[in-house]
Amino acid sequence: MASRPRPSTAEAREALRDAMARLADGDQSALEEIYRATRVKLFGICLRILGDQKEAEDALQDVYVNLWQRADRYDPTRASPIAWLAAFARNRAIDRLRTGKVRGGAVPVEEAAPLADETPLADMLLVDAEQAAQIHKCLGGLDDRTQGHIRAAFFEGQTYAQLAEAADVPLGTMKSWIRRGLMRLRACLEASEVA
Amino acid sequence: MNGSENTPPQTPDDGVQRDDPMIAAEWALGLLEGEELLAARGKYATDPAFAARKEWWDDWFAPLTDAIPGAEPRAQVWDGISARIAAQQAAAAPAGDAAVPTNVVALEARVRRWQWVAGLTSAAAAVALALFAFAPGRSPVETPAQIAAAAPMVATVPIGETGLRLDVTYIPESEKMLVAAIGLTADGVHDHELWLVPADGGALQSLGVVTPGEVRSMVLPAAITAKLGDGASLVLTREPIGGKPEGVDAGPVVAKGAFTPV
Repeated sequence: MASRPRPSTAEAREALRDAMARLADGDQSALEEIYRATRVKLFGICLRILGDQKEAEDALQDVYVNLWQRADRYDPTRASPIAWLAAFARNRAIDRLRTGKVRGGAVPVEEAAPLADETPLADMLLVDAEQAAQIHKCLGGLDDRTQGHIRAAFFEGQTYAQLAEAADVPLGTMKSWIRRGLMRLRACLEASEVA
Repeated sequence: MNGSENTPPQTPDDGVQRDDPMIAAEWALGLLEGEELLAARGKYATDPAFAARKEWWDDWFAPLTDAIPGAEPRAQVWDGISARIAAQQAAAAPAGDAAVPTNVVALEARVRRWQWVAGLTSAAAAVALALFAFAPGRSPVETPAQIAAAAPMVATVPIGETGLRLDVTYIPESEKMLVAAIGLTADGVHDHELWLVPADGGALQSLGVVTPGEVRSMVLPAAITAKLGDGASLVLTREPIGGKPEGVDAGPVVAKGAFTPV
């Protein structure tokens, strides 16, 4: 993968959307283009969830082979392509975690967070900034404890049982905390959609 | 059965209504396991409102991934992707090459048998749907017409001398598997968990807890479909409610069966 001049984010997103549409129409060369544009971000996600290089590479292969098989699943009128692919990759990695024998969440969330002086790789596409601001705002509106548990579930793929054990509370308590948090999160996000 | 806001199952240990939109949120966050995960996948395939809510959460959560540092995969990963795609193309289109007429004949025979099996499966599903009519609140099975068009693999798992059996149908291209546990009843103390035994002798992989008395459609992750070929077999184990607890050995094997292509 030769490095090339970095396109602006908007251009990169349009190029990706275009490649996804071509892939859905059966243009195979589009897959390599999509891979080149998104592999760094998607591999980062798989690696974070699975905590294992080999597992993450297998998951990444599954993501793109699957994408090739069912490119028509992406609806270009809905999500931004990189948001959709990021969710797709994370879902695949979580599936692997839940059905396989992998021990996930090997990297604690604080340790794995990007360092302040660490810039994303040049060709790592980011999801829409406005949408990002809103989810961070709504998450930030939750109490610290709930927010921490929801983040641990998202970034480390932890289960209710693991979260309850780590916090040393009964399973039912953890479920209750997170469900209340999700309800408030939903209300906050929905309010932002109406506005 | 219609819409996603009905029949919220109450959980006694928390004060929050756990309705379908909540389950979609938990799924998007990655919290569902076992039978709940299977049920959610089945519902995703059959309930547009539920599917839309899951995708709504996925979209909102997606920007959080920007906080995850990117990482460069090794070059072999792309080679692996190319190889797998090339292999699938070769398998899917042997007719394009005049040098392999025998394959074409074999493919045609396989397609005819698949059509025959599809008819049978439809009939079985029709019976199952008729049974569902008396079980309100249960999600219906996805019809075989929707789950499509590749040669399926089937496995029958007879359960002891009872005459009962589990019918498992896997449609490769759709990554969907239909598990029919009609005739099985729950005893309230145990669940039965289905496991894939890969043909290559690899580790057993859980396919989840079987729902007694139902035909259920599930989407399989690629980690599992990769192992699901001719010669792969299935075992059914008896477990505590909810399936095998983490960190303990699986329960006794109560039934076995093997996948064969049709």
